[in-house]
Amino acid sequence: MKIKKILIANRGEIAVRIMKTARLMKVETVAIKTSFEPGAMYLSYADHIYDNTEEGTDIPVFLDIEKLILIAGRTGADAVHPGYGFLAENAYFAQKCIDNNIIFIGPSPDALYKMGNKTIARRIALRGCIPMALGSEGNISDEEEAIAVAEKIGYPVIIKAASGGGGRGMRIIRKAEEMERLFSIASKEAEKAFNDPSVFIEKYIENPKHIEFQILGDTHGNIIHLGERECSIQRKHQKLLEEAPSCALDDKLRHEMGRMAVKIAKAVNYYSAGTVEFLLDSDKKFYFMEMNTRIQVEHPVTELITGIDLIEQQIRIANGEKLKFRQEDIRLEGWAIECRINAEDVQSGFAPDPGKIESLSMPADPFVRIDTGIQPGSAIVASFDSMIAKLIVKGKDRKEAIKNCKKALDKVWIKGTKTTLPFFRMLVRNLKFQDGTFTTAFIEKDLEKYYYNSEYEEMLAAWLATKLFIEENLKEDSINVDFENGKEMSPWLLNKRMNQF
Amino acid sequence: MGNDKIGINKLYALSSEKRKFSFSLPLKHKIRIGKRNYEVKLKADEKYGTYILWKNRKYPVEIIRSRQNKYEILFNDISYSFTVETPFSLQRMKVLSSVKGKIEKELVTAPMPGKIIDVLVREGSSVLRGEPVVILEAMKMQNEIQSPVNGIVTKVPAKANNNVMKGDVLAEIKVE
Repeated sequence: MKIKKILIANRGEIAVRIMKTARLMKVETVAIKTSFEPGAMYLSYADHIYDNTEEGTDIPVFLDIEKLILIAGRTGADAVHPGYGFLAENAYFAQKCIDNNIIFIGPSPDALYKMGNKTIARRIALRGCIPMALGSEGNISDEEEAIAVAEKIGYPVIIKAASGGGGRGMRIIRKAEEMERLFSIASKEAEKAFNDPSVFIEKYIENPKHIEFQILGDTHGNIIHLGERECSIQRKHQKLLEEAPSCALDDKLRHEMGRMAVKIAKAVNYYSAGTVEFLLDSDKKFYFMEMNTRIQVEHPVTELITGIDLIEQQIRIANGEKLKFRQEDIRLEGWAIECRINAEDVQSGFAPDPGKIESLSMPADPFVRIDTGIQPGSAIVASFDSMIAKLIVKGKDRKEAIKNCKKALDKVWIKGTKTTLPFFRMLVRNLKFQDGTFTTAFIEKDLEKYYYNSEYEEMLAAWLATKLFIEENLKEDSINVDFENGKEMSPWLLNKRMNQF
Repeated sequence: MGNDKIGINKLYALSSEKRKFSFSLPLKHKIRIGKRNYEVKLKADEKYGTYILWKNRKYPVEIIRSRQNKYEILFNDISYSFTVETPFSLQRMKVLSSVKGKIEKELVTAPMPGKIIDVLVREGSSVLRGEPVVILEAMKMQNEIQSPVNGIVTKVPAKANNNVMKGDVLAEIKVE
């Protein structure tokens, strides 16, 4: 093994995840301690810790290219794993690593750049005859041009950020009147999030399923796919639950979409792990959306049905090794589901709910895998994402996976912040989820209630409120109430009013 | 009269959705479902914190807020708001609500902490249900906060570039 020591340019569960595999491969790791979370769990998985807590900056070190290169040099790391988010898809960072003789565990700067820019990616897909939604030729400069393009391809259309991803800078336009307002919102949002206000327009595919293919490529020109994941359970383009495989695909469609995914990856000489995202409409026609040039949050569902450790593959590929398997060696076995347990308040539109995790306990059933970077005492801080843990379950088929998921969800115990758990408890009981006919519009259109509670839970909560009231207000005999307690109006005034009626 | 004390034998917990749960006093640690009584236990320990034990299952509980007779309780990751009333205060509440009459006001509040990017209404503007009132940036996303009702804007505490907390009032709308 050429790679001896990996600098983990990330935090949280993905840092833990990478270090677990590195340990199995007997590769040393370096984690960075930040002032945002100096007691974080991921630090305990590292062989070496670089203390960066003295740096009094507002920007996390995981976004500071110069500093990361410096840390790699100081700690003697010969490779960097960027995880996801932060600099994972930054071509400049990948190039900087290479220039400093540090192996970037990910694709080439060229592939990062081409797939990172959505207008360039569209052009490449077009050249490769990959099915795609109609759209603008390149970037759109103003509302007038946007309206002209939209008229040509027909409403509804979607505005997307050229340098975008993750739902930011995206807006759906259903009629020309909405364009002016939403165009400027999308462009401003894109500029803030990606330092690039450029946007482009695509025909908006109504009620599609989100299907993505996991790709693995080596530096010797071999590229294969590891089947699909379905990520249609999303809200405002943020994925909440993912599964593999998808019940919308048969072998023929899987083969065809997989072939296209490999084709587009080949067009940029892709190596490392990557994901090609497609939309699948109700006629089972599919459209290339974008390629994500990193390990993804939802990678565990693919690992569970293929038995392949994707982080190990990323490290081996970065090490220059050839893939040990061919396309025909890949078997998809069983069904896996991942729930993203986030510190969010489902009762207030999934608003982030930062706070300190007071207690945390996870199921230990054999069909459960937990990926987390949080332990009791950890804080969910506003500077980073709101993820607490990924609950990943397996079953022999989809039905069993859902059943196991339901069981596992009831055993998850988190205190300290509100979480997305009630949402998943509702979802696994929802008929449309169970029959698999849901689309990306499911959460916004098909759901009336975002959470599940059993019929007695509210009553038990009412009992507790009553008990508290008694303890705070009633005298020892527990039959007298002091009406003056905290009230603004005196009883005699009330009596007078009541007599008037 | 001042410190009036009246003997009572019942308490009501009213949910924010106006569901009424009644409990007789002294409060029993048993709840009757059909023909059976089930024991309710409020417990706490090091590992789990506070929890309610009911039908052999533990449910995490937390008191989020308690003010006067208002309680916000987190039960199994879902929050519930109750006001606890005595038979007397319940009667008084009914009277008060009929005195207040039916001038309905709707508050537009911030669903999450963030920064106000733009305020799209002014005092006196008329708005339709679903019309954006404020653009709020949170976690790098710009969100349109929409009016929940048709009406006339009566107050706009929201100011561009201000930071707001979750629950802060952005606008007040008189329902039409």
